[in-house]
Amino acid sequence: MIDFTLIWDSLPSLMHGTSISVQITLIAMVIGLSFGSILGLAETSKSRSVRFIIGTYVTLFRGTPMLIQILFVYYVLPQFGVMIAPFWAASLAIGLNSCAYISQIIRSGVNAIPKGQLEAAHTLGFSSIQTMRYIIFPQAFRISLPSLGNEMITLVKDSSLASIIGVMELSKEASIIRSRTYDAFSVLLAVSLIYLVMTGILSFCIKKYEGKVRKHA
Amino acid sequence: MLKVKNLSKTIQKKSILKNLSFEIDHGSIGIFLGGSGAGKSTLLRILNNLDTADSGAFTLDGVTLNLASINSTHTIGMVFQHFNLFEHLTSEENITLPLIKCKGVSKGEAEMIAHGLLERYSLLDKAKINVSNLSGGQKQRLAIARTLALDPKIICLDEPTSALDPRLTNQVAKFITELSEENRIVLLTTHDMKLLEQLNGQLFLIEEGTIVESGQKSDCISNPSTYPKLASYFM
Repeated sequence: MIDFTLIWDSLPSLMHGTSISVQITLIAMVIGLSFGSILGLAETSKSRSVRFIIGTYVTLFRGTPMLIQILFVYYVLPQFGVMIAPFWAASLAIGLNSCAYISQIIRSGVNAIPKGQLEAAHTLGFSSIQTMRYIIFPQAFRISLPSLGNEMITLVKDSSLASIIGVMELSKEASIIRSRTYDAFSVLLAVSLIYLVMTGILSFCIKKYEGKVRKHA
Repeated sequence: MLKVKNLSKTIQKKSILKNLSFEIDHGSIGIFLGGSGAGKSTLLRILNNLDTADSGAFTLDGVTLNLASINSTHTIGMVFQHFNLFEHLTSEENITLPLIKCKGVSKGEAEMIAHGLLERYSLLDKAKINVSNLSGGQKQRLAIARTLALDPKIICLDEPTSALDPRLTNQVAKFITELSEENRIVLLTTHDMKLLEQLNGQLFLIEEGTIVESGQKSDCISNPSTYPKLASYFM
């Protein structure tokens, strides 16, 4: 049976956890989108060494579990003198992981742009950086929007992995309530609904934005 | 006057251009004819620094042209066969962005130039419309306007009518003639006989990477025995 009283009483803790989950997601989004875009554009460069470095980064972050990456940032970096609070360790690790995926989404977007766009920019006198900034990236971003939207939704769910290093985000709060009350069903149902609402809102916003961009195009 | 001397280009061991030389005056239209793969487009690509020449000398009004940095000087402009407009921008932005970012023109001045050109090419009502919503003819007019905005002394047009409705050929010929009347050097490649009929200029026939015949169109028509290959285009 669903214990609505328990859910109601747990709402302040769950809302606090939700707020932490949203913060982790937003920070990871900023890291992922900014550095991922830079890496995605850089990977289309002619320099073999640049492509090799980015390729290695992507292989490492896509080929290992995010959980291990969070543990690595939180437990291993301090051994090298880099102390990071659990919240920031989780946000950074999730952001760096997302960065690897976003770089590949942007790279595919760039590769989908006709060569003629580059040639036109070149003959008009745009520098390589200006071409990327004003011509290629805006178009690649539009092409990549659906895939980027999926990645953003994945980030919301991935934020739950921060609980492994004790960050009091939504699933960690739920875990504490569950161990205190032994009512797994009610608590997990409530938490699932909250995640569903978050991903639903994000999905709606992304669709709206995609529609706006399509309308402009 | 534009002088190109001994231009050669080899791609994958295949000689595309072989010691190609020509001269053309300001206000003239240079029309490059020849079969597919003759090297016409490669010539325009080299002049626009989209390809590099293996050898050759280039001068404009006696001054050596450094093709490696020619794009930043806006001496030469290119109108592509498939227009290559920036699909994420409006008609107006396609003209203003290069002016602002590449020529350092202020936003206000760039908009003024853009409005003038959009009006000239009957596109003023399309200024705020994304270019993906333009017809083929409108796209080409915009491509010419975008190139013209940077005020190049030489304008190259690669197969300007091949991607257009044949009914628009007269209009394209008129625009090309206007460009030459502004004392610009116009270089174009074409297979379009209708366009060729409507233009007056210097014809260059390229075969296997070299100019085998050249002459004023009127001379080619009046003296077919002197220009047998070029004259055959008008028979």
